[in-house]
Amino acid sequence: MTKIKSKFSQNPIRSWCIHQSLDYPWRTIIISLLVTLLVGSGVKFFLIDDDMMKILPKNLESRISWEAIQDEFGSTEVIFIAFGNEGESIFNPEAIATLWDLTEALETGKQIEELNSIATATRMDNLDGFMEVDDLQPERNLSQEEINDLKEYLDKNTVVKKRFVSEDDQYFLITVQPYNSEGLNLFRDELVAIADPILAGYEVHYGGQAYVTGTMPAMIRDDVQDLMKVGILIMVMVLLLNLRSVPGVAMVFMVIGLSLFAMIGAMGWIYQLTGSDRFLFTLANTSMPIILLTIANSDGVHVVSKFFRELRVKHEVRLALGSTMDSLLVPIFLTSVTTIAAFATMTLSPLEPLFGYGITIGIGIAWAWFLSSLMLPAVISLKKWNLKSKAITELSIFEKVINKLGKIVLTHPKYVFSAGAIIVLIGLFGISKVVVDVNMSKFFKPGTEIRDTMDFMDEKMAGTVDIRVRVMGDMKNPQTLSSMRTLQKKMEENEKVTTSFSIANVVEQMHRTVMDDNPKYETIPDNREKVNNLFTVYSMSGDLDDFSSIVDYDYKTGLITAFSKVMSTDEIFAYVEKMNGHVKTTMDRNLIVDFTGMIVILRDLVIMIVRSSAISIIFSLIVIGIIASIFFKRILWGMLAVIPLTSAVIINFGFMGYFGIELSHITAILSSIIIGVGVDFAVHYIAQFRRLSRIIDANKLSREVVDDVGYPIILDAASNMGFGALLFSAFVPIQYIGGLTVFAMVSTSIGTLTVLSALAELLKQRLIERNV
Amino acid sequence: MVFAQTGLEIAKMVDERPTPKDMFSKTKMILTNSKGQSRTNVMISKSMDGNKKQIIWFLEPKDDKGVSFLKIEHSDQDDEMRMWLPAFKKIRRISSKRRGDSFMSSDLSYEDLSSRDLTKNEYSRIDDEMIDGKDCYVLKVIPKKEAKSSYSKHLSWIEKSSLMAVKEESYDKRGELKKNKAYTYKKLKEYFVMERIFVEDIQKNHTTEVTFLDLQVDTGIDYNLFHEKNLKRIPKM
Repeated sequence: MTKIKSKFSQNPIRSWCIHQSLDYPWRTIIISLLVTLLVGSGVKFFLIDDDMMKILPKNLESRISWEAIQDEFGSTEVIFIAFGNEGESIFNPEAIATLWDLTEALETGKQIEELNSIATATRMDNLDGFMEVDDLQPERNLSQEEINDLKEYLDKNTVVKKRFVSEDDQYFLITVQPYNSEGLNLFRDELVAIADPILAGYEVHYGGQAYVTGTMPAMIRDDVQDLMKVGILIMVMVLLLNLRSVPGVAMVFMVIGLSLFAMIGAMGWIYQLTGSDRFLFTLANTSMPIILLTIANSDGVHVVSKFFRELRVKHEVRLALGSTMDSLLVPIFLTSVTTIAAFATMTLSPLEPLFGYGITIGIGIAWAWFLSSLMLPAVISLKKWNLKSKAITELSIFEKVINKLGKIVLTHPKYVFSAGAIIVLIGLFGISKVVVDVNMSKFFKPGTEIRDTMDFMDEKMAGTVDIRVRVMGDMKNPQTLSSMRTLQKKMEENEKVTTSFSIANVVEQMHRTVMDDNPKYETIPDNREKVNNLFTVYSMSGDLDDFSSIVDYDYKTGLITAFSKVMSTDEIFAYVEKMNGHVKTTMDRNLIVDFTGMIVILRDLVIMIVRSSAISIIFSLIVIGIIASIFFKRILWGMLAVIPLTSAVIINFGFMGYFGIELSHITAILSSIIIGVGVDFAVHYIAQFRRLSRIIDANKLSREVVDDVGYPIILDAASNMGFGALLFSAFVPIQYIGGLTVFAMVSTSIGTLTVLSALAELLKQRLIERNV
Repeated sequence: MVFAQTGLEIAKMVDERPTPKDMFSKTKMILTNSKGQSRTNVMISKSMDGNKKQIIWFLEPKDDKGVSFLKIEHSDQDDEMRMWLPAFKKIRRISSKRRGDSFMSSDLSYEDLSSRDLTKNEYSRIDDEMIDGKDCYVLKVIPKKEAKSSYSKHLSWIEKSSLMAVKEESYDKRGELKKNKAYTYKKLKEYFVMERIFVEDIQKNHTTEVTFLDLQVDTGIDYNLFHEKNLKRIPKM
């Protein structure tokens, strides 16, 4: 048996690792598989949770206000259903009967707490001097005369009409409220399952923030899963084209598959043992498998490609494998440690799932490191390789390209470095143009169902964005009610805000009705006793519970609901600030007024995600720099290690700024992807530079390094072009992720092989001197 | 051979049992919603003709003090209901079309508060039962179309010795249980009078408890009291 220990490594740990793989391959493989199976068995506890609300930190101010509203008034996250036919009046007996049937069917829904439609609403009429509260639609079948009367009532009460009918009288609108605002995906699924069969024959549109929130995560996941199948196919083809070895490619995918399995299993186990929601797989975790795939791929590609190059020279498997692992164990370990440390900074994020993200991806990366360091060489050692095959005897396409690239870069290192620096500077200016936006309508391409529905709701109905204002004060006090009406009018001054509704509107309507339906009295009464009498009169004919969604039981808190067309994040910011300003200057200081609603919360969420991403990048750079400095024993190396990563971050976000790609809670994921892949290339380059600087002449050093690590780096980057498949997603931010990931791969790999190699070449006398 | 009484016969017995000529009470009504939040109303009530004429003055909550309500039932025309709104200084008629509407947002509807017309309902007897140690007839009551009821049926437990209802289940138009009612009564002079009513709306998860305090019967209430002019002033107790 060849003494690997003495031949290939001076380092005892490296020797031991190589020894395990080469001299006890079956034991190594079996142990690796058993541990993978054990950890991966946690897959049965793995839980996907599409509830976006679980992503939000519990102490977010807008969330606290929002939850207070949910507690008091029930869930405000409603889904709208609009049905009708273009060009036909909806005020006909068939449509009225369908509305009745739909309402009855929806009332049986387990997730559904309340419905608001013509079929459930009441009307207040003044008949011969008394206030009659009656059902707006008293029964299923109405004659055309009754329908005309209904329409007349709605035309007279436009605030009520806007809630139930489109402006052109062609569509009915039903507002459906769930029991609670968690599990919106289940709510959405149940509602659609009930409504679709009843509304056959009509044009149907679903809308509302809850619909989008409930639909999006599963939609994204399904879309990404489908496209990634194509992506993986591309990956396989690129690897096959260059490695020219099916077993070689299979071994790379073995590392990917087993580490993914272990990561998912680990997440399941931790969730099972801790019960913590931090270890649920949410929308925020979508990029985890993508990142682990790139990292595991990188490890596997480095080992297999290096092995083939060594085998080409040494003509003996064990020798080739020994020297491969001797040169790669440290860089693979280092890239894993730096990436784990970088992702560990996510545990500092206020967003709950990012804590679990940081921990779980760390486990996945660690396992990929273990597999590629021990199991992969063991598997390689067992295979009988054909030393005469093309994979071993001939250079691949990329190897030939690298050769040429190295020549160009290292002949003109100053120019190359300067060019890189200029590109980075341009990118820096671009960063200032980056716009943060969670305009959900822009997430979907025109022509997609959700986008069309949102556009429909904006054009024909009252819009789908809801803004809620909680007002705490005496709801029977005329001053309070008048203040609320004034605030509502102020809110409606914005052209995108279509309507608003509150208990103040109801009081005005009751007042008018009691005063013989005289429009002059559609005002807030001038004293509290009158307001109270109105409620008492109402209770004699109607049910005060009718107001439970707009005023609390004790009449101490009221809710203003405004609907608007889709607004961008900037518009929401500006609008809420303006309204808060109005509240401070105009409304009674004894009143407590809070603005909230899903759109306000999403705005706050995006700010948080963007801030988390920025902090994560900065911390990651610091951590990576420190670790690299320690391992490479020089601060200069630590600084050089973060150059490609920093450049990639600047160029990618600058690119977004120049091309108007908005930064949202989806595209902010990109920062994690860059961290995941960006550091690997630099660490491999530096590790190889240091190793070869001890044995190769300084004049040939950089060329040798580029030739050595350039090929696996380019191959790794090229195989990850599979992410380009995401460009075909129906979901715009996923398209961006696909495109930007490809761009990140290109920029980090090229950045390493040009800017870093040029810089290392320029500084080599300083770098080599210290290493001798 | 002894023939068991039919449902209609029992209903007639209940209808014909002796009732006070008039009644006065201070009534407390507690409404409790599904979240456990409560509202309490206190009112003075005077009635005669088996509650066919009734006038109520609200005392509590303070916001409602001064509001009053007059009801006069007719067999051949719509019931009259009027309300005095002190803040507006107006008397307003209340619609009597929707008998299923709740009274003051309670679980008692106008229909629940009105007497049942024997000719507008079908009565059938089902097996007798014991309720809280009381031997009861059990009647199934199905309102006819002309009753314009908001219920599809009732099951009523009538205590045999007093002919007072002790329990009733009321079912909505879909045939689903809507309300559970429990009654407590006491003997006052030669009459059995209701002392407490507890109603639970199963579907809304809401309860109403009505307690009749300071009950007085046959006090000689003047027939002319039941006129809207008397709504404007709370009588002396």
